[in-house]
Amino acid sequence: CGNRVTELEFEDTPADQLYNEALVLMNAGDYRTAMVKFEEVDRLHPHTDLGRKSQVMLAFASYSRGNYQEAINSAKRFITLYPNHPDAPYAQYIIANSYYRQIPDVTRDQADTKQALDAYQVLIDKYPDSEYAEDARNKIQATKDQLAGKQMEIGRYYLERDDNLAAINRFRIVVEKYQTTRHVEEALFRLTESYYALGLTQEAQTAAAVLGHNFPQSRWYKDAYSLLEKGGYAPEESKSSWISRAFQGFSLL
Amino acid sequence: CNTGESFTRGQKITPDQLEQVPIGSSREQVLLALGTPTSTGLADGEAFYYISQTSARTVAFQRPSVRDRRILAVYLDDDNKVRDIAEYGLKDGKVFDYLSRKTRTSGADLAFVSQLLGGLMNPTL
Amino acid sequence: AVVSRIVVEGNSRVDDATVEAYLTIRPGESFGPRQIDESIDTLFATGLFQDVTINQQGGSLVVRVVENPVISRVSFEGNRRVSDEILEGTVQSRSRSMFSRTQVQADVQRILEVYRRRGSYLATVEPQTINRGENRVDLIFNINEGDKTKVARITFIGNGSFSDARLRDVIQTKESGWLGWLRSSDTYDPERLQADQDLLRRFYFNRGFADFRILSATADYDRERNAFFITFTLDEGEQYKFGSVRVDTTLADLDPEQLERKVDSRPGRRYSAEQIEKSMEDLTLAANRQGYPFASVVPTGERNFEEGTIDVVYRVDQGQQAYIERIDIVGNTTTRDYVIRREFDVSEGDAYNRVLLDRAERRLRALGFFENVRITTSQGSEPDRVIVTVTVQEKATGKVSFGIGYSTSDGVVGDLSVEEANFLGRGQYVKASIGGGANTQEAEFSFTEPYLFGRRISAGFDLYTRISEEHDTQAYDMNETGGGLRFGLPITEETSVQVFYNLFNRDVSVDESDCAAGNLSLAVCDSAGGRITSLIGVSLVYNTLDDQYNPSEGIYAKATTEFAGLGGDTYFWRNTAKARYYHEVVPAFGVVGLLGIEGGAMQALNDDLRIQDQFFVGGSKLRGFDSSGIGPRDRATGEALGGRYYFTATAEATFPIPFLPPEAGLSGAVFADAGSLWGVDPDIMSRNGGSNSVVSNDFHLRASGGLGVLWRSPFGPIRADFAVPFIKEDVDETQVFRLSGGTQF
Repeated sequence: CGNRVTELEFEDTPADQLYNEALVLMNAGDYRTAMVKFEEVDRLHPHTDLGRKSQVMLAFASYSRGNYQEAINSAKRFITLYPNHPDAPYAQYIIANSYYRQIPDVTRDQADTKQALDAYQVLIDKYPDSEYAEDARNKIQATKDQLAGKQMEIGRYYLERDDNLAAINRFRIVVEKYQTTRHVEEALFRLTESYYALGLTQEAQTAAAVLGHNFPQSRWYKDAYSLLEKGGYAPEESKSSWISRAFQGFSLL
Repeated sequence: CNTGESFTRGQKITPDQLEQVPIGSSREQVLLALGTPTSTGLADGEAFYYISQTSARTVAFQRPSVRDRRILAVYLDDDNKVRDIAEYGLKDGKVFDYLSRKTRTSGADLAFVSQLLGGLMNPTL
Repeated sequence: AVVSRIVVEGNSRVDDATVEAYLTIRPGESFGPRQIDESIDTLFATGLFQDVTINQQGGSLVVRVVENPVISRVSFEGNRRVSDEILEGTVQSRSRSMFSRTQVQADVQRILEVYRRRGSYLATVEPQTINRGENRVDLIFNINEGDKTKVARITFIGNGSFSDARLRDVIQTKESGWLGWLRSSDTYDPERLQADQDLLRRFYFNRGFADFRILSATADYDRERNAFFITFTLDEGEQYKFGSVRVDTTLADLDPEQLERKVDSRPGRRYSAEQIEKSMEDLTLAANRQGYPFASVVPTGERNFEEGTIDVVYRVDQGQQAYIERIDIVGNTTTRDYVIRREFDVSEGDAYNRVLLDRAERRLRALGFFENVRITTSQGSEPDRVIVTVTVQEKATGKVSFGIGYSTSDGVVGDLSVEEANFLGRGQYVKASIGGGANTQEAEFSFTEPYLFGRRISAGFDLYTRISEEHDTQAYDMNETGGGLRFGLPITEETSVQVFYNLFNRDVSVDESDCAAGNLSLAVCDSAGGRITSLIGVSLVYNTLDDQYNPSEGIYAKATTEFAGLGGDTYFWRNTAKARYYHEVVPAFGVVGLLGIEGGAMQALNDDLRIQDQFFVGGSKLRGFDSSGIGPRDRATGEALGGRYYFTATAEATFPIPFLPPEAGLSGAVFADAGSLWGVDPDIMSRNGGSNSVVSNDFHLRASGGLGVLWRSPFGPIRADFAVPFIKEDVDETQVFRLSGGTQF
């Protein structure tokens, strides 16, 4: 059926010709046939560098075709075989990207997000100066952002149900552990709302003040300010609170 | 027929527990007598808040509404001695609508077709 | 010892640098036998090598390795019942991975496990390798499946109080009928047999048998017939009733009498484990409300053999003092977090209370979205903090089903429906179906959101179109198209209120020439044309059935009042009520009794009521009579005109037919129906030609009795009823034999 390429034809073609044909197929998007050719390079010339490179390309082909689990398996095999091969960082990068592509929205289990984060972290630790380290750092920021988003989702769930004490603990997780993410502004605002609803106005003022110092232009700060102002309070921070301590290293004061 | 249900949230501190932490008692004493606080304070010096709240609904489909709230605040001074103890009730709470805006998040949402095909793969007999 | 350099020998595919990277020995550093063992272990752990030896020769360390061959292809021969994809998914050895003997042996076991799970205990697997040179091999698993091992017979010994057939319904393992190939539950699976024992225990504990024990559950394999004979040996013990019920507590200011009123297990009622669990839950909640968040309830029972009662004492004490730090939900790749979290009455920061977590677990299982739900706890960040982890294992909740059926009134009917119980992981229910038969076609779409705005209000809407052509009991073509909004509000666990609004257009068309020639009643001809009905209604439902599809215990009662006239052409006020009570009359023989009554009354609110708006009684509502077989009728032409008042009553007992082998799946029923339909709308009567143009318009009781046979055939339940009307009006249309049945694939 169709141009099902069988293995036998390649018995004697040199490795680099086969490898280049496969590359051309890859660029043309015919990943299926490309994979067969890369497999042949690995089969016929296993101990050559091209043989090893084609194993990485096989992982990349699976990744491009969207079967991420297969990509992860073949990339992991490559790293076990050749941990300090020049393409090892690229294999690690494929593993991390495969998890990253499967990240679901925040209302569902973030297992893949966590695995992506760990995989990028391994990339930065083991191959700090590889060309992929820069993108790995950005992707780590994105995965942290997603994990923070999940905490906010649960926090808002409890806030809507007036379970302020449950909500406060969730928003604190964001402020303590996910300080560098975009959600920290909203987390501080939600803390203002939660404490204010409980009547602990001092705490509300502190949260609002920290929000103001660190994100003066943030819309969340304007909302916090107007919320307190309606009750005749103004944001004023006390230095020794854990939030300001938590922000010491960060604050733009 | 009583169809109502009520739920107590958080940590309720009984009067005799409270007697064990007079002004001046140490931080460890507070932790021993009252347990880990529901939430610690953000404001000046360390503050322990023990928050409990009862909400109830008269009929099963309603969302429970807050009927009573008690916050016990234990304020500690700089050398971790109890400086002051205050109680807040439901009347101190402020009533307002929470903001509905959300910070945008990413991640692939679930497409119905993929979910349905999941069902197709293993028809239940 | 110290070496100056490391020599790697015997490797071809794996380069020296790689081997050295896995060693814990470095040139120039001292090392001992421990480092050598460590290095050997790590090298083996990579799965790359068959053999590794390390020894020191002079100043250099010689690492001799024998590489595992690489698998170029994995293939399976001889597998018919299990596809290659499934087998590839289970085995670990894959193309381009390293071949290892231990790995292949493990794969053989995995394949055998797949076949055992599908009931083939005779399957054998022979791994075979073909050398491809260059240290590469092809791996072939030669499988001999052997034919399927069936469950020939399930017998129970010692079950005095419940029949074998009744207990066979309780357990999941089924006997292989001659259509066994359709089902997979008729194979022998040790895990399922284990689950069956729990199901039996729960069944008996809930029916008063507190001392029930399973002496043995054996599965004997008969080699010739390649089938299993399963035997459960039971010791039922006494059937107990609840004796005295007492609550005692060490907690101050908890008043035991007041708590006792909360307890369900009242003296004299049959002992049931479920009621004890329910009482424990109620007591815990009561204690919580009175300021004891950590109350733990422990029931103890003292048996009183003479009177056959159990005195239950609920001890309410202070439980473990801990607060929930976080509720983490794991495994929900489809279901959204809030759909699971909202089933918890307890939330983060609350007192830890196992009974409330069990209630949430029961609710989550009842959703039907999950294969399995497990709530586990682990130590939190502080000694008095606990982290609750909810692990869910989801299952495909989408269903595409196709059904065919036959009934004497509609002929052959078929339907195709697509259903999703957890639409987009939001817990919403969606169903679309089309169906048709000899003289009816219909299409329907329905959507339900169980938690409107986060409250426990289930809101939904339905759209439908139904065409029924003229046939012997219906003298007109009718096409109804419309939709409705509905809201379900649960009041307590058993009672709920439903508020609904329906809007539909009904087109009735009659044969003009028949009307002109006078062989169709004026009322029927008059009802031709299109009319819009816009009605609003409220129902109160009380439901304690133990099983919604096959009830054997409990009551279902529903009362509805509807007002049509919010616009549209139809104006009436209609009330209906029905109640059905199921009870296991003679549990020993699986006899289930049913008492049912139903009634309705309606009042036109203008003079323009149509016959189709009225009640029609007959067919399944009153067996022995044709559909719309009773009630007011046109004296000349005989068409049923419907009535404004009706009532029906039924008494029935169903029982497995004795002396027949149980796998025949035959059960019988004896029943008596009674009822009447009367009072056609006066305006319809006058338009039909006055009161003498209508016959049997006032209340006459009809009654019938009969036998029914229910066959649980491999194609689904088929029921045949023989009903003889012994009190009837001579104008009534009877129908002695009715057959209906159908199945869903």
